[in-house]
Amino acid sequence: MELDFSIVARFQNALALGLWTTIQLTLICIVLGCALGFLIGLARTSRSAVVRAVSSVYVEFFRGTPVLIQLFWIFFCLPLILGVELPNFASGIIALTLYMGAITSETFRASLKSVGREQLDACIALGLPRRVQVTSVILPQAVLRAIPTLLSNCVSLFKESALVSAVGIADLMFIGQNISNNTARPVEVLTIVALIYFIIAFPLARAVSLVERRILAKLAI
Amino acid sequence: MNYSFNFNAVSFEPLLKGLIVTLELTLAANAIGLTFGFLVALLIMSRIAAIRLPAMLSVEFFRCTPAIVQIVWFFYCVPMLFDVYLDSMTMGILALGLNLTAFNAEAYRAAIQAVPREQLDAGIALGLNPFQRVLYIVLPTAFRASIPVLLTNGIGIFQQSALVAIVAIQDLMYQGKSLATETYRPIETFTVVALIYFAVSFPVTQIVGYLERRRQLLMS
Amino acid sequence: MTMSFSPPLVKVESLHKSYGPNIQVLKGLDIEMKPGERVVVIGPSGGGKSTLLRVIMGLEKIDSGSITFGGKPYISSAGRDKKTIIDTEVRRSIGMVFQHYTLFPHLSVLQNLILAPCKVRGEKKEIAIKRAQALLERFGLAAKANSYPAQLSGGQKQRVAIARALMLDPKLMLFDEVTSALDPELVAEVEQVILQLAAQNMPMMIVTHDMWFARNIASRVIFCAGGAVVEDGPPEQVLGSPKEERTRDFIDRVFHIRQ
Repeated sequence: MELDFSIVARFQNALALGLWTTIQLTLICIVLGCALGFLIGLARTSRSAVVRAVSSVYVEFFRGTPVLIQLFWIFFCLPLILGVELPNFASGIIALTLYMGAITSETFRASLKSVGREQLDACIALGLPRRVQVTSVILPQAVLRAIPTLLSNCVSLFKESALVSAVGIADLMFIGQNISNNTARPVEVLTIVALIYFIIAFPLARAVSLVERRILAKLAI
Repeated sequence: MNYSFNFNAVSFEPLLKGLIVTLELTLAANAIGLTFGFLVALLIMSRIAAIRLPAMLSVEFFRCTPAIVQIVWFFYCVPMLFDVYLDSMTMGILALGLNLTAFNAEAYRAAIQAVPREQLDAGIALGLNPFQRVLYIVLPTAFRASIPVLLTNGIGIFQQSALVAIVAIQDLMYQGKSLATETYRPIETFTVVALIYFAVSFPVTQIVGYLERRRQLLMS
Repeated sequence: MTMSFSPPLVKVESLHKSYGPNIQVLKGLDIEMKPGERVVVIGPSGGGKSTLLRVIMGLEKIDSGSITFGGKPYISSAGRDKKTIIDTEVRRSIGMVFQHYTLFPHLSVLQNLILAPCKVRGEKKEIAIKRAQALLERFGLAAKANSYPAQLSGGQKQRVAIARALMLDPKLMLFDEVTSALDPELVAEVEQVILQLAAQNMPMMIVTHDMWFARNIASRVIFCAGGAVVEDGPPEQVLGSPKEERTRDFIDRVFHIRQ
């Protein structure tokens, strides 16, 4: 068969709009999801067994089920339970934020754990009060250590965001599929869509190991 | 909330049929991913750039694009490009298998390259030839180190397999969605479907956690 | 003795400490340290030396016993559940330097030094910086003020750690095997700094395996084994002609290995 990629150029505005939706969705859910994940990460080290149990169930459940079913659940079931109509975009944001919260909470938890006992000893020997230990010593180190993994969590979120096309949100994937169906040119259109995802995700994924090396070099004790 | 729950509406028979399809997809994709992943790992570690670079680029392409894009691409484009028409189950297995191959290749590569230099030095000092060093030192160590990641990737593909519902393979997700539409009982149906996925994934993640803890203990 | 009526700086009484139900590390330890003394604690590994220092720093819970500091109650265990009570006000007058430096890796050398004075004592930042710079100057580290710990050698890191502890004007310094993690050629620069402090009569308690250093710095040596004090006296006695057989065995073995 003959391939004609110029066909895609005719739809560049629509694709750009879809990409913009994908990026908006990703950025909003990165911010909300990281905030949620940070709180959940702290909750999982809480002294209260109830708080620990509730947060563990949340994390394990969201890590143990397909994102697609989470999305369907939020999309079809949440409006029924709440008794209000939810705009598609809002459902997408809720679902992806909950997903991002679950995976970043594990990142924050691991990085909090990686601040060693010796650092705490030093804090006590210097007479630092608990509040200063947390704000000046533990959290800054934990956040620094979390950055590389958080970055790869962001790449995962960016990729998973393509699922919202399945519930009719007009993101890059959704627009791409529409154009492909209408033009009967799936090879050209879907290949370009895949390339757009790749061009954004690949440099980010590469940056992870670069950032990781720099941070580890800085934190080497 | 005015919704009254009725879990009796969820009939398990189609869900069970769907689960079997999901498990078939998962196992077949893992068989592909575990074997081809290793071969591709050898390619991306090749000293010959003409082999290494294309292999690396394809691995990165699978790792850096959404799985749903890959699956939809595969279903629409492979028949048109190569003029092959396979049944949708085979297509699903191939698409998931290729995706897993890329992730597993990275896992194998990382594990092989993480074998400490001193281990190889010891092999040289003991007079082992290069082939023996790979066979007796590198591979056993690397395989053991890669098991947790391979398991995590394997269960990841179990979850990603839900995507094939979008191209109408009748897996657990697909059956769940049809049932939800037929019965007008989305909450019960999707909850049960989610719980089934969870019931399979959770034990595996626990095993991975156990293996990793044990490994850390052994290493320290 | 003219100072016999002044209270001891540290008084440890029948200190018991165990890790878990089976590992008893300190089994009724008694030590009295006078102001101005420089006590070196030696002994086999697992004998409780480091644990003793960690307990005095208030880093560990104790099973029973008590410690006073400058005549004031400092650490004790009380109540039915034997809770360890630590007076954190008293704890602030003790400084400690660890084997593995434990600098804060995300802070520069200067920030490491001023963190505690600013946050604990509410000292003005400019004043803390002035004092920090003076200390760094004295320890030959003035050029490193804005470096991060990862950019320093082991010896430099350990000197920064000492300076950081001194910023709080401690009345007692604890040194826990501070040269054990260092390359041999870096040991001297750290020991020089500690000798400098000794010359200014800083009271200190030191755990070390370096017998040359012990002999040079100690005003008193304690040989600690099996969780109790076996021998206690001036360095010439404990290191030169020990009275107890276990001390003699240990000293013989250490010097035999070294020669």
